[in-house]
Amino acid sequence: MEPSITTTRSRRLRRTSLALAFVFACSLSVTALAKQTEEEKAAKAAAAQEKLLQVFVSEPYLELAIGPGRGYAVFHVVEREQSVDVLFRRTDWFKVRTEQGVEGWARARDMRRTKLADGSPFVFNLGDRAGFTTHDWEIGIGGGDYGGANLIAAYGSYSLTDNMKIDLSLSQFLGNSSNGWKAEIGLQHVLFPEWRFSPFLTLGTGYVETSPRATIVLPLDRADQTAYAGAGARFYLTRRFFLRADYRWHTVFTSRDDNEELEEWKVVIACFF
Amino acid sequence: MESRNRLLLLTAVCCATLMLSGCASFRWPWGKEKVEEQQTDTEAAEEEAEEQDVSPPRVIEPNVTRRKIKTPRIDNENWEVGAGLGFLSIEDFGTSSTYAAQLSYHVTEDFFFRLDAGQSTAGETSFETLGGDIELLTGDERRFTYYSLSLGYNFLPGEVYLGRNLAMNSSFYLLGGIGSVDFAGDDRLTINLGAGYRVLPTDWLAISIGVQDRVFDSDLLGETKVTNNIEMLLSATVFF
Repeated sequence: MEPSITTTRSRRLRRTSLALAFVFACSLSVTALAKQTEEEKAAKAAAAQEKLLQVFVSEPYLELAIGPGRGYAVFHVVEREQSVDVLFRRTDWFKVRTEQGVEGWARARDMRRTKLADGSPFVFNLGDRAGFTTHDWEIGIGGGDYGGANLIAAYGSYSLTDNMKIDLSLSQFLGNSSNGWKAEIGLQHVLFPEWRFSPFLTLGTGYVETSPRATIVLPLDRADQTAYAGAGARFYLTRRFFLRADYRWHTVFTSRDDNEELEEWKVVIACFF
Repeated sequence: MESRNRLLLLTAVCCATLMLSGCASFRWPWGKEKVEEQQTDTEAAEEEAEEQDVSPPRVIEPNVTRRKIKTPRIDNENWEVGAGLGFLSIEDFGTSSTYAAQLSYHVTEDFFFRLDAGQSTAGETSFETLGGDIELLTGDERRFTYYSLSLGYNFLPGEVYLGRNLAMNSSFYLLGGIGSVDFAGDDRLTINLGAGYRVLPTDWLAISIGVQDRVFDSDLLGETKVTNNIEMLLSATVFF
């Protein structure tokens, strides 16, 4: 009987030890996995952290509001020498995260007084007079007159230099005899970009599609190429806004014997960024 | 014996301490000469330096390297795009459902530009309903397609509380602009005025309800008159 008992014992022991080994191995692998995932998480977090800009509060405090606007309540204050991560920017407000993980909105004016990790000031584009002189993009909407028809216009431009810009404009004209669309691309030369009231010259080409109004009997719709030369002025209003008024003299290269000549003027409210 | 030895040793240590500690302060005759020599040497060197006037300033190079910081580009989220569904009341043609797309650019915290483009289908006038087979407009002409370019102004910013744990930013806005409408086979210039209320459940999502009046001249029913076409739209937009 004894040997059999011993055998049973040893089997049991083996089974138990096998099971224990299995459990141990499992727990080890699980721990390893958990460790790995934690490491991965940490790495990911670090990677995410690296992408964010860290700035240090150098004034006595930095106020954080619940929303990107003057009227939103201030709910948190970051102390001097503490840092915040800049998540993103909306208009002149920055969404930031503090070291404790509190997220809120800091106004650009306050963020200008923070410092980077090397002690240099945090510099960014602020919508002001300096921005009016030097910026990349501008967009605007407005209205005017195109050869006697009402004009609805939208434009965008990209600055090659402070003086030279590429203009792209899309407009619709609604007249008594005909309606139509036109798209134009051209160059705008701002003579004195640093002036608040600054004149400019334009030159460009485009495409115009004209269709007669339902009540008037005219030939079919037509599409023609146009060229224009013009002059205008820009006037800085406030923050990122300015007014732009311009006059353009168009030549429409029609399929008829004579080219058509049209005058256009418009006033646009625009912003730069 | 032991105590005597210790006493002797202690005495010797005390004497040595007393003697040696004052050594440097003693002006030994041989030491004085040396000091004088040194002084004359330094004076001579200074005089020479003054005479030659070539005293290179000692620049201390700090052993500190300035950290170079990579400044990541900050994401600007001023654009807002989305779509909405609602109702449009076309003057004389009843109320129909409408859908529209919206694109906004937020210039400052207060002002924004907005492009609206939408479409609806006009119903029947009461004249058509009562008159039986009479149809003023064909199917295509009933399509009411519009767009508008507006300038908006945010006001009354605040927070909305839904229950105990949920707070969302909110604000009212006013809109005004120009645009055009393609209706009854013709394009017309419109002026639009409106107001709305916007709630932001997250930083990137906005739910708004807005009312706009699109005003244009119409001569569809005989004489030319100003028509008011009121639109109510519930829209969802995302910031990017």
